[in-house]
Amino acid sequence: MKVTLISIPVRDQEKAVQFYTKKLGFIIKKDAPLEGGHRWVTLVSAAWQDGPELLLEPAPNHFEPCKVFQDALMEAGIPWTQFDVDNVDAEYERLVGLDVEFSVQPTKMGTVKFAVFNDTCGNNIQIIETL
Amino acid sequence: MASNGKHSFFIFMETISPQHDHHLKLTRMTLYEEKINHIKNSCYSNDKQLKTVIATRNFIDKNFDKDLNLNLLSDVRFTSKYHLQRLFKRYYGLTPKQYIIDKRIQKSKEYLKNGLKVTETCFAVGFESLGSFSKLFKTKTGKSPSEFQKEQVSINKLNSEY
Repeated sequence: MKVTLISIPVRDQEKAVQFYTKKLGFIIKKDAPLEGGHRWVTLVSAAWQDGPELLLEPAPNHFEPCKVFQDALMEAGIPWTQFDVDNVDAEYERLVGLDVEFSVQPTKMGTVKFAVFNDTCGNNIQIIETL
Repeated sequence: MASNGKHSFFIFMETISPQHDHHLKLTRMTLYEEKINHIKNSCYSNDKQLKTVIATRNFIDKNFDKDLNLNLLSDVRFTSKYHLQRLFKRYYGLTPKQYIIDKRIQKSKEYLKNGLKVTETCFAVGFESLGSFSKLFKTKTGKSPSEFQKEQVSINKLNSEY
């Protein structure tokens, strides 16, 4: 067995595709139509295109417990997942410049530095740099 | 520490004047920040140890191609080698030896992608034996170095053709 996919719940797939590609810099790996206007759409890191895929899943719109869980995490400020970056400060500046809202400014903790932003699709996302 | 912090936060809430209440609500810590601060205080409060392991990791990153061993690494930070090994594992979750191997494999993938020969790559990332490099590479990536390189070359060719 291999880990190749992680999924992230989003309220609006197209809005998520725009945010994750235009602002975060991911690229589309797979995009296939499903019923009801939904898509099987996955993204990969531009710098690691054979790495794990990120599935943008519209689950909160179709499965109430997912929506409840996602809302509760958002309210508590807890990140749904995290992405590695080379330099948290630089990425923070770049994203603030693109009007991305951060709930946690770049913060050192132990052997990492991290920050948390709102992906505008219902999730807090953490970026992290190993020191 | 964290429970004290929370306690003093509520004392603070009771003593502030109403006009400050609005601002305080806006800047109030999320549950996540409270939990993170708790972990920070309980697991990551020893600055001296953190400096030691961070400097050790940085040293490995700059010298992964050299003959690195625990004696050398412990000399750099003036610590005993077993202490350093324990600290590194505690803060990074893996031993210095495991970290060095991962670093070398990651770098060798870059070199192979850039067209360096397998033997050259092996020595450029600090391995002394081609056999142990190839075996480790296959264990870590699922492919031999030459298979990996062939695949990369065909991916590059495909990308340039389409």
